[in-house]
Amino acid sequence: MRPNFNPKSIRKTVIEMAYAGSTVHIGCALSIVEILAVLYRQFLNYPNNDPLHVDRDYLVLSKGHGVMAQYACMRELNWLPEKAIKDYFSNGSELKGLSEFGVPGLEVTSGSLGHGFSIGVGIALGAKLSNTNQKTYVIVGDGEINEGSIWEGALFAAHHQLKNFTVIVDENGLQALGYTSEILGLGSIESKFASFGFEVLSVDGHNEIEIHSALNQLQNSLSSKPKALIAKTIKGKGISFMENDNIWHYTRLTPDIYALAIDELVRNDL
Amino acid sequence: MRNALSACLIGAARANEKTILLTGDHGYSLFDEFRKYFPNQFINAGIAEQNMVGMAAGLAKKGFLPVVYGLSAFVPIRVLEQIKIDICYECLPVIFLGDGAGFTYSHLGVSHQCNEDIAALSAIPNISIYSPADRFEMKFVFESALQDKAPSYIRVGKCDLGDIHDCTSELNEQPLLNVRKGNNSSTVFLATGSMVKKTIKLAERFGNISVYSVPKLKPLDSKKLLVKLEQFRKIVTIEEHSIHGGLGACIAEHIMRSDPKKIFSIGVRDRFSQKCGSYEYLLKEAGLDEESMFASISKFLEE
Repeated sequence: MRPNFNPKSIRKTVIEMAYAGSTVHIGCALSIVEILAVLYRQFLNYPNNDPLHVDRDYLVLSKGHGVMAQYACMRELNWLPEKAIKDYFSNGSELKGLSEFGVPGLEVTSGSLGHGFSIGVGIALGAKLSNTNQKTYVIVGDGEINEGSIWEGALFAAHHQLKNFTVIVDENGLQALGYTSEILGLGSIESKFASFGFEVLSVDGHNEIEIHSALNQLQNSLSSKPKALIAKTIKGKGISFMENDNIWHYTRLTPDIYALAIDELVRNDL
Repeated sequence: MRNALSACLIGAARANEKTILLTGDHGYSLFDEFRKYFPNQFINAGIAEQNMVGMAAGLAKKGFLPVVYGLSAFVPIRVLEQIKIDICYECLPVIFLGDGAGFTYSHLGVSHQCNEDIAALSAIPNISIYSPADRFEMKFVFESALQDKAPSYIRVGKCDLGDIHDCTSELNEQPLLNVRKGNNSSTVFLATGSMVKKTIKLAERFGNISVYSVPKLKPLDSKKLLVKLEQFRKIVTIEEHSIHGGLGACIAEHIMRSDPKKIFSIGVRDRFSQKCGSYEYLLKEAGLDEESMFASISKFLEE
C-alpha cells in the first residue's frame, strides 16, 4: 500500500531527525514538505517501489539542504530503516546533511547549489534521446537560482524542448543571510522562467490541492516547453515559531524546543 | 594530432551509439566529420560550461558515455567543482578533453592559457589524467580512457609538433615510454605532452641521455615507475605546466613515498570521505587522528 505522505508526519520526521542528529537546515526542509508529498503521492513513478528502478521518474533535490524532508518521505516508502532516522549524523552512518548519491532515492550529490538543475537537464535529455516517458522533477530554492548555472541549464532545456523536465522553485523568500529580495532581488521568478521559454504556473506551495492541480496541468500540456512551477512557501512552515525565522537555517534543537515543536505537530493533528 | 583526436571520437561514436560528444561552442572544424556522420550524437551546449558538465553527469546516469570537449582553460578549470562533485564523486564514465593546454593560445593571453589543469585535477579522486605527446599516444590514451568507463581527462596541448613514436602498437601500459635511447646510466629526462619532442632534441645536446614520455600522469604505477628510475641519480622532468602539481611534482611524490628518508607526508590520500560522522570521525577515516598519525610517524622514524 502506498503511504499517504501526511505533511504532519513528514514534518515530525524532520524534527525527529534534526533533534537526533543535532542538525541545522530545518526551515528549508519544512518549506518543501507539501511539494514532496504531492510528488511522491501522485506523480513520481517507481515501479515495484524500487528507488533504483531503471524506468523510474527522477526527483532531483537540487537544494540539497532540504534533504531531511526527502528522508522523511523515503521513510514513509520504507526505503530507509528506522535505525537510519534514529542514528542520524552518528559516526559511520549513511545519511548526510545534504543530498548525496549512494542512498537509494537520492539522485544527486547537491548542496553546492546550481548543480542538480543541470544534472536534471542531462537526465531529461537522456530520457528524451532514449525515447522513454520518464519525467524529471528538480526542486531548487529561490536563493539557489542566484547561481548562473541554473540559467545556463534553463536556456538549454528550452532550446532542446525538454518537455519531460519540470523545475519546482521553492520560493520561501529567504536565503542564508536574509531575504532574497534584499540580497540579490529576483523580481518575478515566473516571468524570468517564462522569458527563458518555460511553461510556468505559480501556486501556494503548502496547498496540496493547488500543487497537484498545477502539476497535472503542466504534465498534460501539449506544449513542448519545459515546465516551471513556482511554489510560494514559508521557510519553517508548520512550526509556528520557526515560520519565516531564518535562525532555523542555523539553529539546533534543544530538548525544550524539540518538545515544543513535536507538541505543536501532534496537537494540530487532533 | 587533431586528426587523430577526430578519428578517435568518430571511432567511439561508431562503436557505441551511446557515445555523445558535448562541446561548449568550441572546436571549430574539429568536429566537421563527426557531425557529418553522427549528428545525433553531437551536442553544442552553448557557451555554458557549468551546465554542460552537469548535463554530462545526467546523461551518464541515463546510460550514455559523454565526451566533454573544451579548452583546458575552461574544462577543467572553470568547471572544476562540477567535475569533482557531479562526475568524480560518483565515478561516472565521462571523458574530458582539454584542448589548447599550456601556452598553445600564445597570442590570446592568460585567459586562454592553461598551466594548472593537471595540478587542479590531481587532487580529485577517481579521475585518470592523460597527457599524450603525439597522435599515436592520443589514440592509445583515448582507448584506455574509453575502456576505463570512469572519469578521465585528456590534456591536448600544442598538437602540430609531429610524431614521437612510429605507431600505436609500440606503446604499452608502462608508465614511462622510451622515446630516446641513451647509455647514460646516471641521468634521465622525463617529459610529457608537448614537451616530449623538445626534450628529445635537448637530450641530444647532453649526449647519451635517455628520454621517456609519460602519457598517463594519474594513476601512475608506482612500482613500475620506481623500478625504471632506480638506477638514475639525477632525474630531470620537463612539462608545459606549472611545476606545482604537474609531472615533476608527481614523480617527486612517488619517489619520496617509496624512500621516505627526509619527508613523510601525511594528508588525505586521494579519496572522498565515505560515511557521515563528526569532524573527528572523518579525520580518523582519513588517518588524520592523533593515534593513526602517531603510529605512521613512529613507523617512519624507525625505518
